[in-house]
Amino acid sequence: MSTMSDLPAKHERKTSVQTLGDQAKVYAARMRLQNAIDQADALDAIREIAGNLIGTEEVAVFKIDKKRSELWLYWSFGIDPNKHSVLEVRREPKLKQVLNGKPVFRLKLSGESLLSTDDPVNALIPVLADGYPCAVIVLFRLFSHKAGIEPVDREICEVLSNCAGRAVEPCHSR
Amino acid sequence: MAKKVLLVDDSTTTLMMEEMILKQRTNYECVTAKDGLDAISRAVVEAPDLVLMDVVMPRMNGFEACKRMRTESSLSKTPIILVTTRGEEEYVEAGFQSGCNDYITKPINGFELVTLLQSYLGE
Repeated sequence: MSTMSDLPAKHERKTSVQTLGDQAKVYAARMRLQNAIDQADALDAIREIAGNLIGTEEVAVFKIDKKRSELWLYWSFGIDPNKHSVLEVRREPKLKQVLNGKPVFRLKLSGESLLSTDDPVNALIPVLADGYPCAVIVLFRLFSHKAGIEPVDREICEVLSNCAGRAVEPCHSR
Repeated sequence: MAKKVLLVDDSTTTLMMEEMILKQRTNYECVTAKDGLDAISRAVVEAPDLVLMDVVMPRMNGFEACKRMRTESSLSKTPIILVTTRGEEEYVEAGFQSGCNDYITKPINGFELVTLLQSYLGE
């Protein structure tokens, strides 16, 4: 039988296991992307990471055009590609921050939409190659039982940002 | 003797994460399979103490694999936990009808995973 004095130990154990679980997710995401055997496998890795570690089966990769004025749909999973073929930077203010290399996340319980689309967008993640964004990963609707992007999801998105470049090779020349 | 857990998922990312959590936080031995068919043959050979299995997989999904495992005398009482992307009632009901003991939703929460497995296998 547990007593009141057990509570701090239980809480500490829960936190410890939770931290380990989060570290395991970040590690698995990094390993999966770094060990991708080719471009197709790297795209599959993005799908796996989004579905299994973050909690969305609606994901797209947009390549940035040379003028950095438009993003063209390069690959997608779980969305209607005809609805999202191109994103115009001048019409999407949140994309400017992403093109500077910083991810943008939808806040929990926020009705805010990150893009001018009917579909909910939860994260815009720049894919960096040589330190510069060459593509953007868009995470759309999360699983219904998932309330929003968590701190560990942000860490996983950072891994996607830094390690998913191979999925969009060859990046356009700068 | 260490309890043995069969982890079944077509995603190497998920298998890596699950193994890492269980190896660090429990004494369980982990063996893996990459789809439902593979899981059945591995389970017959390995005789795991528990099966943690994804639902959506190529060749044979988790529901079907669960049903088939229940027809194997050596696996008829082995706890099977399904990993689902959806927590809706009818989806969960389909899991229980296939013979699973429990389910856990993706993305997997490390604490929930360890706690759930320990409830079947002990610490």
